[in-house]
Amino acid sequence: MEEPSKFEQYVYKNASVYHYMKISLVLENGNKYITDAQFKQLIICGLKDLYGEVGASFPFDLLKFDQNKLTGILRVYNSGLVKLWSALTLLGTYQNEACAFRVMQVSPFLLALSGNSRELQFGDQLTL
Amino acid sequence: MHVLEIWYDSSRGNEGKELLCAFLKKLTNRSNLSLFCDLSRYLLCEVCVPDRSSLQLLEDRSIYNTLRAAVKRAHGDYGSALFNIGVIVKYLNAHTGVVLIRSRKKHYRLIWSALSFITCLENRGQMVQCFLNCLHVGGTIRTCQKFLVKYNRQQLHRMLPDCKTDAEKQEVRKAILSCSLSNVRDEEADEDGSDDDDDDDKET
Repeated sequence: MEEPSKFEQYVYKNASVYHYMKISLVLENGNKYITDAQFKQLIICGLKDLYGEVGASFPFDLLKFDQNKLTGILRVYNSGLVKLWSALTLLGTYQNEACAFRVMQVSPFLLALSGNSRELQFGDQLTL
Repeated sequence: MHVLEIWYDSSRGNEGKELLCAFLKKLTNRSNLSLFCDLSRYLLCEVCVPDRSSLQLLEDRSIYNTLRAAVKRAHGDYGSALFNIGVIVKYLNAHTGVVLIRSRKKHYRLIWSALSFITCLENRGQMVQCFLNCLHVGGTIRTCQKFLVKYNRQQLHRMLPDCKTDAEKQEVRKAILSCSLSNVRDEEADEDGSDDDDDDDKET
């Protein structure tokens, strides 16, 4: 007789100190040449407009940046997530041109950003 | 303290609450009635300037405008919106430089943090270099008044060794003994803030 297999369940609340956001910048007149420093500066300007000097000084990091598609992964502390997200939402212009930030994924774990079920492409072998 | 619990229909918005408050104030003839949701914090601050004479014609409007600019710079649009809703300069004493600022309970820390960024006040076209020092945070004007009486008494005690002649010492001692809150009850009805009648700040 086999022994019933044991398992343990761990439940974490607030397991991660950071939150990771996958965002993309959409410009009205097509893509421009934007470096990663300019991208981060744009987000800081948005934070500064909405939350002032105190908000603009909140630390966040741009972990990855794709210059062709203008997408990036941001990392921010849990307490600053709401501020960062609201500042991204309300950011409207880049160098006098209309723009918008689309937030594609938000997760407390970086690994979760590697796969996105919305962008899943099914091949021919959907069913085995 | 009497606590009255009233249940009213808030589906129409905030007008019901304000009407109720106005009705109760009229009914009980008390102007310092406050609903439990109207919590506020009073920041008692002192304006410190290098020379006293530049404080003479200070107005509460200039403090209000300077504070609004400082909150806008430090906390952006969010801070400006919070400032517009709840902040008002309740009392200002130009002789001693005491300011009483009222703000909502939820956001008083935001306003407090912006105080440190004020470097100069604009007073009738002139810029006065100063800084605002927060002395006390109270829930009502009365607690701030009580603190102010104690604080002024301590300041007068500190001034006593600096007095040069005996006549001055006598005056300062008399001022210390006359510090009291006795005249406050009459003034509470119009909620004008204290008149600093307990402060005989005699400077040479």
